[in-house]
Amino acid sequence: MLTEIFIKPFADMVEAPDFLLQVLWEGLVSGILYALIALGFVLIYRSSRIFNFAQGIMVVFAALTLVGLHAMGVPAWVSVGLTLLVMFGLAVAIERVVLRPLVGQPDIILFMATIGVTLFLIGLGEIIFGGENKVMITEELGIPTGSILFEPWGGLLILEQKDITAVIVAALLVVALLLFLNKTRMGRAIRALGDDHQAALSVGISLQTIWVLVWFIAGIIALVTGIAWGARAGVSFALEVIAYKALPVLMLGGLESISGAIIGGLMIGMLEKLFEIYWGQPLLGGNTETWFAFVLALIVLLFRPQGLFGEKIIERV
Amino acid sequence: MKHITRLAAVAALGAVMGTGVVAQELFAPNLSYRTGPFAATGIPLMNGQRDYMLMLNARDGGIGGLPVNFEECETGYSTEKGVECYEKTKGQAIVTQPWSTGITLQVLPKTNVDEIPILAPGYGFSPMADGKVFQWAFNTPASYWDAASMILQYLEAQGDLSGKKIAFLHLDHPYGKEPLPFLELKAAEDGFELLPIPVGLKEMQNQSAQWLQIRRERPDYVVMWGWGAMNAGAITEAVKTKFPMDNMIGVWWAGHDADLKIVGAEGKGYKSISWSYPALDAAVLADIKTHVVDAGNSLSNEEEMQGVFYNRGLVISMILAEGIRAAQEHTGNAQITASDLRWGLENLNVTDARLAELGMTGMVPPFQTTCANHTGHSGGWMLEWDGEKFIKTSDLLQAEADAIQPLEAAKAAEYAEANAPWAMSETCDAPS
Amino acid sequence: MFYRTAGQFKTSYESDQALFPVRQDAILLAVILVFAWVIFPLTASEFTFQTLLIPILIYALAAMGLNILTGYAGQLSLGTAAFMGVGAYACYKMVTLMPWLNPVVAILLSGVFSAGVGVAFGIPSLRIKGFYLAIATLAAQFFLVWLFEKWAWLYNYNASGAIQVPNLTMFGVYVAGPQADSWVQYYLVLAIVSVMTVLCINLTRGNLGRTWKATRDVDIAAELIGINLMKSKLTAFMVSSYVVGVAGALFVFMWRGAAEPNLFDIPLSFRILFIAIIGGLGSILGNYLGAILIVGLPVVLGTLPAALGIPISSSMVEHINVMMVGGLIVFFLIIEPHGLAQLWRLIREKLIIWPFPH
Repeated sequence: MLTEIFIKPFADMVEAPDFLLQVLWEGLVSGILYALIALGFVLIYRSSRIFNFAQGIMVVFAALTLVGLHAMGVPAWVSVGLTLLVMFGLAVAIERVVLRPLVGQPDIILFMATIGVTLFLIGLGEIIFGGENKVMITEELGIPTGSILFEPWGGLLILEQKDITAVIVAALLVVALLLFLNKTRMGRAIRALGDDHQAALSVGISLQTIWVLVWFIAGIIALVTGIAWGARAGVSFALEVIAYKALPVLMLGGLESISGAIIGGLMIGMLEKLFEIYWGQPLLGGNTETWFAFVLALIVLLFRPQGLFGEKIIERV
Repeated sequence: MKHITRLAAVAALGAVMGTGVVAQELFAPNLSYRTGPFAATGIPLMNGQRDYMLMLNARDGGIGGLPVNFEECETGYSTEKGVECYEKTKGQAIVTQPWSTGITLQVLPKTNVDEIPILAPGYGFSPMADGKVFQWAFNTPASYWDAASMILQYLEAQGDLSGKKIAFLHLDHPYGKEPLPFLELKAAEDGFELLPIPVGLKEMQNQSAQWLQIRRERPDYVVMWGWGAMNAGAITEAVKTKFPMDNMIGVWWAGHDADLKIVGAEGKGYKSISWSYPALDAAVLADIKTHVVDAGNSLSNEEEMQGVFYNRGLVISMILAEGIRAAQEHTGNAQITASDLRWGLENLNVTDARLAELGMTGMVPPFQTTCANHTGHSGGWMLEWDGEKFIKTSDLLQAEADAIQPLEAAKAAEYAEANAPWAMSETCDAPS
Repeated sequence: MFYRTAGQFKTSYESDQALFPVRQDAILLAVILVFAWVIFPLTASEFTFQTLLIPILIYALAAMGLNILTGYAGQLSLGTAAFMGVGAYACYKMVTLMPWLNPVVAILLSGVFSAGVGVAFGIPSLRIKGFYLAIATLAAQFFLVWLFEKWAWLYNYNASGAIQVPNLTMFGVYVAGPQADSWVQYYLVLAIVSVMTVLCINLTRGNLGRTWKATRDVDIAAELIGINLMKSKLTAFMVSSYVVGVAGALFVFMWRGAAEPNLFDIPLSFRILFIAIIGGLGSILGNYLGAILIVGLPVVLGTLPAALGIPISSSMVEHINVMMVGGLIVFFLIIEPHGLAQLWRLIREKLIIWPFPH
């Protein structure tokens, strides 16, 4: 039993290094996507202390709008533009209707409100788009679809071109976002708001504008995530469950940290895949990915209650 | 509360009929799911079922002169909603169509007390075939164990199975686990290695871990028990990992055109066992076109209507309609009760001649049910994806009755014992 | 006018602290109890029992369990459904291993198991707070549901992996399983829920309840005035999980009749959280109000179009239903973030001085 836990998995890894690389690659791709969703959470949390559960459904909504518009005969890239407009409209609507009346309420109330928004969007989306599984317009957007084969150590490593595209686009998005947050006026305003609401307000930063902006950025991230995931397995409401995967990433990385979301996402993506393949499937009957990330994050939190990169919690009475 | 609901219902009916008199009709509700994660595979089936009944109403004025009220009660594949729908409709309904293995399991014991037939064509609990124990349950025309048996036979025809490795990729849910007892039995008998690979409900769209396992274990065949978003996920992963499509076979619920269209030509060679086939030149489709589609009453579309699932929906409604017709002929009344319909469903005899009369030649193999055999074991065909659509690739396959029946009887007895006291029909010979 | 308190004098602290300082409250409760114990069972149809009365009571009980943890002790939990699952599976194992066991005893005992599991998953709360803790409870949620799926012993190696409630009798009457009558189950659920409610009211008004509230409000301050935080938090997890576990056993044995593992997945947890929050955190009454709204509303919405003769497909009703529930959650949070219980409190205060404005 002990050898099966401590020795055999590592022996397997060494024995088939190409397979290990494949596992790590698959983990990396999932991890990138977890990180993207977590990024949407972090942005909104930093600027408004709202734990936005609706991020998952925003991914679905963005992807569905894109596919739906294209099905109506709108050219692919025009659809992307229109989808962004829709996401902007959604951001404004959420800010006006839901957030503004709830300013100053306890966190849990705001959290609940975003779950309410989630349910509302599920119902609305099913009325507009129907529940069928749809094909993401991968080719129309110019995303390459083939795969590249490598043969390291006489084995086989398959890299999907759309996964590579997803990784590159995600990386670019993160860089753009970091530049925006650090170098532009607006971006600094968002960070200022995250640090201290009242101080930010007193130097003339408009809460409303920033909130709309932040929700819009979360919408853009949702669209990118939606395209990347949709290209892997089609677009349907079942996609919504991936939002849960972002939660342990947040715990691990810290709710306020952008770099934490990215590093946490990649770590969880790869570790859960490794655990599932080398320990979960042979020893535990598989499907450990549903909980592994949560338990891992829980253990980390026991030692660092604010996550790996979160702000130190200082408590005062 | 009871009176208010009833009054309201009467008032509503009156408003609809414009007369105030309750109309004579056959109330056959369908617990549909056009929402939720499984809606993608549910919608074409529900559309097919609905269109067939609407066609009968428009063409023949219903069955035996009475229109069929084919009301849908939306469950979203949620067991809770399903039970609510069952309770809501059971007062007047002559049949329950639960449409999910979860709801079936939950409603099954209730129907045995409430005495309403439960019609679960090609799904539900395989031991339901034993009509002596499951007096009120019907999984006509074929059960999941039939499916597993036919798939194994098809594979055996490609070469001896002993020493081979078969991966069983399934939804981690009562539905996906259903064929396991039979597959385990056959694995011991035929000497192949069975490797069950569960896919959690949350992993349906991201099966990379499962397919990495398949890559590592290198099975000779993958048998898939998938549903909803899981099918598309599995097929895209299979294409990605370069698993030979010819060696991948799904159950009938994993043979949905839209799932395969996502991969298109790359999915060529993928197979699915099926007891229904879209025979597009069948007369019944022309009738549906004139009476339902052209009248603007169909919820379906051109593309969907050519698919396997829509046409299977038609066959499912045909089974129910034939059951009603048999019951009407037996009792001599057009207005039948739930227990009349049970007799009807137990005495189905869908022959080739009857299929020709119905305009459904080639859409389903002929089958016959009896009091003791509620499945009918129609057998099925192996369908293959040719890059654009599913085509028949085998002759009619028949499940191995010898291997299945003892297992059915044993599991049925086990069920009855766990649910004691369980009302059983002592004899199946007595005239009812 | 109806709620005038004039003439009801309090002459001692005891009477001021009584459960019903205003006589009319007691009368109102008596009326409600008469409805619950006599009038509803006499008039309700099978449909009403199965889709309104029984589920409302069970959901209210589950929400009450959650409310003790979240509303009184301030520990946000998203894993309620998993603890219900522990109760349900424990009850199933007990009645199948020991068929002679009285079903009510089995249901009450099953809470003990969920209390144990609850304490184990409550230990991280000593270090983790706020949203981090909420996500940590999700670890319990996902891990336990996975365990229900994989640990075949729990469902007696049944091929389908689902548990089926056997027919159980008590004093010769069927109380669970397909043979049981709805009204019998209703009375049983009502009795258990009533007893638990009285216990919860007393607990939350007593010493333990005050300790919890102090922990909720400012835990460091509570520690400084000598409250043992570990004891306070863990007892909250224990009591809460016990109530939730009993609710879970009732859920499967007195209502659903069968269960598969993913029944106890996250949507159920959220549903109970909605009930607790819309009803009002830190309130016992609120759980009932929330349950009536969240359970009753979809049923009413579902039957409404047919009753009014509006031709609308049932899937459309379902879509609108989901939208309405989402919209209503936001709506209620905006008009009264402290829930329906607070709304009732305000109405009652208005009623006491009505018809005079001051």
